[in-house]
Amino acid sequence: MTFEQADDRTLVHAARAGDREAAGELFRRHWPAAWRTAYGVTGRRAMADDIAADAFERAFAALQRFDDRRPFVPWLHRIVVNRALDLLRAERRLVGGDPPPEPQDDRGLGSGGDRALLDAVNSLPLQRRVVVVLRYGIGMGPDEIAKVLDLPSGTVHSRLARALEQLRERFEMSDVQGA
Amino acid sequence: MSRELEQHLERLLRVPQASDEVERRALGLALAALPAPAGADRSRRLRVLLLAAAATLALLAVAAAALATAGALHVTLGTSSPGAPVLPRELHVPAGAKAVAAVVDGRLWLTTRSGLSIRGLPVQSATLSPHALYVAAGIGSSLVAMAPDGARAWSRAAGGPVVAIAWAPDGLRIAYVVRRAGRFQLRTVEGNGARDRLLDGNVRRVTPSWRADSLAVAYVGGGGRAVVYDFAHDSHRVVAGRPGAGAQQVAFAPEGTTLAIASARAVTLDGAGWTTPCEACDLAWTGSRLVAASSTKLALFRVTPDGRTTSLEPLAVSGRVEALDATESAIVVAVARPSGTRMLGAAAAGSGAHPPREVLLQLAATTPIDAVSVR
Repeated sequence: MTFEQADDRTLVHAARAGDREAAGELFRRHWPAAWRTAYGVTGRRAMADDIAADAFERAFAALQRFDDRRPFVPWLHRIVVNRALDLLRAERRLVGGDPPPEPQDDRGLGSGGDRALLDAVNSLPLQRRVVVVLRYGIGMGPDEIAKVLDLPSGTVHSRLARALEQLRERFEMSDVQGA
Repeated sequence: MSRELEQHLERLLRVPQASDEVERRALGLALAALPAPAGADRSRRLRVLLLAAAATLALLAVAAAALATAGALHVTLGTSSPGAPVLPRELHVPAGAKAVAAVVDGRLWLTTRSGLSIRGLPVQSATLSPHALYVAAGIGSSLVAMAPDGARAWSRAAGGPVVAIAWAPDGLRIAYVVRRAGRFQLRTVEGNGARDRLLDGNVRRVTPSWRADSLAVAYVGGGGRAVVYDFAHDSHRVVAGRPGAGAQQVAFAPEGTTLAIASARAVTLDGAGWTTPCEACDLAWTGSRLVAASSTKLALFRVTPDGRTTSLEPLAVSGRVEALDATESAIVVAVARPSGTRMLGAAAAGSGAHPPREVLLQLAATTPIDAVSVR
């Protein structure tokens, strides 16, 4: 049986019964977004590699407990984000302060303003940085982010608004300096 | 302005993709974590039922024995046989130790005295920190530090698989061997994952060993020579071996500066002029005693700080030793037994020729024990 056309629920059912082909399709379908989410939250490739792999392991090991009336993706992404935040918080306890993301490849940056804005994003508090990256880096809507972070939608909106306000100040400042 | 900022962010925060290699490896790990299929579940339930039936029979036997002792019943159930030992199905902490970790068929098993554990995490290598507060493990192409319950403290890219790790006695540095571009490199990183540093770009795949003061680390260089890197003077010193002769293991004593070196046929002490024949021996120290594990026995030598050695009564091992570690109070060995099983066993250190022994883990013959770490 081929599972390429099957929906997530069918794949979850089959994977629960031990069907590796169905589990493989479920993995291939959602791995890219899970990894990008992990990268978005942590800003580090190696960490994203581990977190996304770990999240899939946990998700597959817990498939029997998954409530299949709910969609698979937000559940998976919640595991990813929780693992990423746990890891970053543990690192903060050890290192002190929010660990910064790894430097981004400069080749895509067009101006000094780009660099200033990236630095501003990286210096946001972790909670705000996460919603900004999920919104603009991954392209999730606020309601989707709320589901992934298990937060009220209003909290996501307010974090986004505050983050944008903070970034706008930096952005305008760099515009003035660059003029 | 707001839309302009948002468009700017969308362009700047474009997220890259994982490499195919990472994806392939993650798929393997995820599939391995799948629950057993329903058929296996049914057979497990059947096994449970059979076990329950066996337990009921055993209870009947006990009751019958009690009645027989009381003279109220004369009956025999089955043939009499000596009691087979009850083997643990989990990893046990040896007496006197805080924790034990083993890499079994590429997966980490860890148990602490306080009851924390990690079961079956895929790793290439692992070692416990001093006092077993953390475990450092090579996972994928990262070096990862975790609490003994599996919570990750930090993770850093290693640029390749980490195949051997040694945590300094003061806990402030970790030395690790990583495979990059077809060669093994010796690198160090601080205990919090910061400041990665290359010490030697061409070494053998051998676990490094820290000197007791944490200011030097011994390793086997690319030419098979034992080398000591001295952090105080930022210098390398070749201590033994010739190119091609092949040091195979190095082990600093837990106190002082004595360094034991195992080659293919002998064990020597650096600078002491002492050597003893030993075929492909594994090395570990239990206090001031050096343990050299050959295929069938653990040779023990008491070593004084000035390098004088006294041979002690060896401990017999019922099988081939595949991995070894020791603390002041316990010697832990991974053994492939002639009976076709593998086991992790412990002997209390310093309790004479016949110390109490424990089975910490029992495995099938096809399941190799790659490494062991005890604190």
